[in-house]
Amino acid sequence: MEQLLIHCANAIETNDATLAQQILWVLNNIAPPDGDSNQRLTCGFLRALISRAARTGCCKMITAMANSTANLTINTHKFSVIELASFIDLTPWHRFGFSAANAAILEAIEGFSVVHIVDLSSTHCMQMPTLIDAIANRPEGPPFIKLTVAGATADVPPMLDLSYDELGSKLVNFARSRNVGLEFRVIASSSSDGFASLIEQLRVQKIVFPEGSEGEALVINCHMMLHYTPEEVNPNPYNTFESSSVTSSSSFRNMFLMALRVLDPTLVVLIDEDADFTSNNLICRLRSAFNFMWIPYDTVDTFLQRGNKQRQWYEADISWKIENVIAQEGLERVERLEPKTQWVQRMRNARFRGIPFSEDAISEVKSMLDEHAAGWGLKKEEEDLVLTWKGHNVVFATAWVPC
Amino acid sequence: MSIHDDTSSSAMTGDPITTTKKKRSLPGNPDPDAEVIALSPTTLMATNRFVCEICNKGFQRDQNLQLHRRGHNLPWKLRQRSGKEVRKRVYICPELGCIHHQPNRALGDLTGIKKHFSRKHGEKKWKCEKCGKKYAVQSDWKAHLKTCGTKEYRCDCGTLFARKDSFITHRAFCDALAEESSRVVQMVPSLISAEEQQPKLQIVVAANDSPTPTSPPTPIIISAQIQIQGQELPAKNTGISSCLNGSSSMSSSNGNGTSMFANLFSSSSTMAGELQRQQQQQQQQQHTSFADLINAMARSERSMTNVEPISLCLSSSNGSSLQYAAPFQPALSATALLQKAAEMSAATTNASLLRGLGVSLSSNTSSGQQQHQQENVHWNRLMESEGSGGIGELIMGGGSSSMFGSKPTTLDFLGLGMGVGGGSGAAKGGFSALLNSIGDRLDVAAGTWGDGNYSEQRKS
Repeated sequence: MEQLLIHCANAIETNDATLAQQILWVLNNIAPPDGDSNQRLTCGFLRALISRAARTGCCKMITAMANSTANLTINTHKFSVIELASFIDLTPWHRFGFSAANAAILEAIEGFSVVHIVDLSSTHCMQMPTLIDAIANRPEGPPFIKLTVAGATADVPPMLDLSYDELGSKLVNFARSRNVGLEFRVIASSSSDGFASLIEQLRVQKIVFPEGSEGEALVINCHMMLHYTPEEVNPNPYNTFESSSVTSSSSFRNMFLMALRVLDPTLVVLIDEDADFTSNNLICRLRSAFNFMWIPYDTVDTFLQRGNKQRQWYEADISWKIENVIAQEGLERVERLEPKTQWVQRMRNARFRGIPFSEDAISEVKSMLDEHAAGWGLKKEEEDLVLTWKGHNVVFATAWVPC
Repeated sequence: MSIHDDTSSSAMTGDPITTTKKKRSLPGNPDPDAEVIALSPTTLMATNRFVCEICNKGFQRDQNLQLHRRGHNLPWKLRQRSGKEVRKRVYICPELGCIHHQPNRALGDLTGIKKHFSRKHGEKKWKCEKCGKKYAVQSDWKAHLKTCGTKEYRCDCGTLFARKDSFITHRAFCDALAEESSRVVQMVPSLISAEEQQPKLQIVVAANDSPTPTSPPTPIIISAQIQIQGQELPAKNTGISSCLNGSSSMSSSNGNGTSMFANLFSSSSTMAGELQRQQQQQQQQQHTSFADLINAMARSERSMTNVEPISLCLSSSNGSSLQYAAPFQPALSATALLQKAAEMSAATTNASLLRGLGVSLSSNTSSGQQQHQQENVHWNRLMESEGSGGIGELIMGGGSSSMFGSKPTTLDFLGLGMGVGGGSGAAKGGFSALLNSIGDRLDVAAGTWGDGNYSEQRKS
C-alpha cells in the first residue's frame, strides 16, 4: 500500500492525471474507510492525496471527484473541556508526556516559593490539573503558581470550544480548592513566528521586575507544540536548503530556543512525537508519515470500540494531520514533526544541557503505562524517555537546564 | 552447579520429588549447590498435565492429582519421601536477555519462575472489565478484581473514575466544582464582601501592632497552619477528632492522599459510640486535646518557617488570605490574638506564633464557652430539622443529608470536602471549626459540616 501511495503521489506531482486516477481507483477499492487499521491508514493518505491533487489542480477529474465527494472533508470535532479531558485520558499518547513532565517539574521547583509555568501545549492545559494537584501536595507546602499560556496558537486538533479565559478561571478555581494560589495569564502569541510576543513579554517582565524573579522558578513546558513553529530559515515552500535549518540560527525554532535560553529558565521540558515530517519532498514526507501514523490507527482498537463517537473524533484528528502533512505546503503545512535527535541538537546549540529523568519519574511513567494496553512501552535513550508502541518510537520526553 | 539442557529437564517437571514442600528460597539468591534447571517456554507453561479421570480437573503435579483422587475415594498413592536428602533445584527464566536467565539469579521454585515468565515476558490476557487493567497471571488478575472499584473516585456530577489522574483532570474542569464554589460564596456574601474591601490592611495592622519580639508572620500563616495541622492530626488521634480534623483539612487542602481518607473512614465506623463518650468526657478531655493541638502545631513549625514572605504577599493578592482570616475576626481580633501570642512567646523560650497561638486560643476558651454552648443549641436544632437520628448518624453519612451522599464511601467524604468548600470558603469552615474545637470539640462538626449555617450564626 505504501508503494501504491508513493506511485500515486509521484503521478500527482508529475501531473500524470491518468495514472494518478488509476491508482486512486485501486486504492479506493482496497482501502475502505471502515477497514482494518492499515486500510484506514491508507484511506487517510488517499484522501490527503486527492485533496492535494485537487488543491494543485493538476487534473480536473480529480478536482471534480474531490468536489463531488462530500466525505472528503474532515470533520474535526470541537471538544468541550470535559470531553477533551476524558479523550486525552484514553491513551498514553499525551499522558506519557504529562507524567514525565510533571515529575521533572516537581523536582525542579523544590524550594521555590513562586513557580512560573509557561505551558505551551497542544492539549489546552489538560496537563495542568494533575500538575497543580501534585504541587499542592508537595511536602514543604505549595508555592504560588503563575501560569502563562499562549493564546491564538495554530488552529490544530484537538480543538476546544472554550475560550482560554474561561479555561483559566476553571483552573484558578480548581487551584483554590487545592489551596494553591494561581495566577492565569494568556498572551496572544502564535507558533507561526516562534512565539515572539510571548518571549517578548517574558523578557520584559524579567527586566522590569528583576527582584521578582529571585526565588521564582521559571518552567517552560513544551508539549507537542514546538513542531508547529516553522523550521525553515525562509518560510518558502520550495526552499531546498533544508539541511541547514537545524544549524542555522535564523530559523524560528532556533530563535525561539535561544530566546528561551536568555530567560534562564529553571527547567525546559520538551515533549513531542518522534518522527520527521519536515522534508520538502512530498515522497519523503509520505514515507515518513506512513511509517509513523500507523501507530495511532493501530492503537485505537485497544481503547475504543468501533462505531464509538470518540473513535470518530480520534480518527478525524489523525486524518487532519495526514492531510496537513500531505496536501498542504508553505505556512499552511504546520504538522512539521522533527525527530528527537534533531531537537536534541537544537537544544544543545541553544546552550541547554539535557538532564535525566529520576527513578521516581520513570516509575511514575511505568505505572501510568500499566493502566494501558500491553503494546505500550518505555525506553530510555541516554537522558531521555521514549514512549514506544510495539517497540516503535512514538513520543519522546526530554528535560533541559541552561548550561 | 550443573545445568540441565531443556530436553532432560523437561521430564522432571512432573517428578514428585521436587514437590516436597520446601522453604521458598529468595529470588536471585539460590543455594550455590542447587541444581539449575532450564526449561523451554512451552515446557514451563505446560500446565495441568495430570488429569483426574472423574472430573477432568488438571494438576501440575502427579502428587496433587493423587491427593485429589482421595476425594473421589479412588485408589491413590503418594510417593514416600526417600531417605537421602533431595538435591535442591532452582529454575532459570527461558528469556535470554532476562536477569533471571543467569543461573546465579535463578528462582527457587517452579511456580515462581512460571509467574515471573508470564508477568515479564508473557501476554497479558486477563483483563479487568472495570478498569481495563491487564494481567498475565490469573491470580494477579483475581487479586485485582477484589480491590478494583473499591478505590474509585466520584465527581459530584456523578461521573466515576478508576484513576486518580483522570478524576483530578475531570474535576478541575467540571462545572460541579465551579457551582459549589459559587454557592459557598453566595451563602456568605456579607462576610466576604466586607473582608474584600480591606483585607490587606487588617493583616498589616495586626502584624504591626503586635509587640512581639519574635516578629510573627501575618495571619495567612495561621490559615496555612490549619491546613498542616489538619493533615497531621488524623495520624495521631483516633475517633471523632481525627475525623473532623481530617474533614476540615480535606476541605482546605483536599486530596491529601488516600491514607487520610482511609483514616477518616476507619474512624467513622467507631464514631457513634465515640461521640457519645466524648460528649460526656468532654470536660476531662479538654486539656488533652489542647496538648494534641499544641503538639501538632509544634510539629508543623518547621514547615511553616520555610514559608517565605514573598509567597504570603502573592497569596494575599490572590484574595485567599482575606477569606481565611475572615472567620477569625468575630471570635477574637487578630491583634488580640497576636498580643496573646506575644505574651506566650515571652513566657516560653522556644516560642513562636504558632505555639503561642495554640496556647492563647486555649486560654480564651473559658470566655468563649458560653458562646459555644449557644451554638450547640443551634446545632442541635439544626439536627432536628434535618430529621436525623443523631449526630453519629449524621456524621457517618446516614439520614437524609444530601451533602453526604447516600453511600458511606470514602468518595462521599471527598465529596463532603468539596461540598462544603469547593473553593476558598472551605478554608473558612475548617478554620472556624478549629477555633471552636478548642472550646468544644462537637462544634467542629457544626463548623465544618454546615459552613453556611455557621456563618449565619456569626452574623446574628
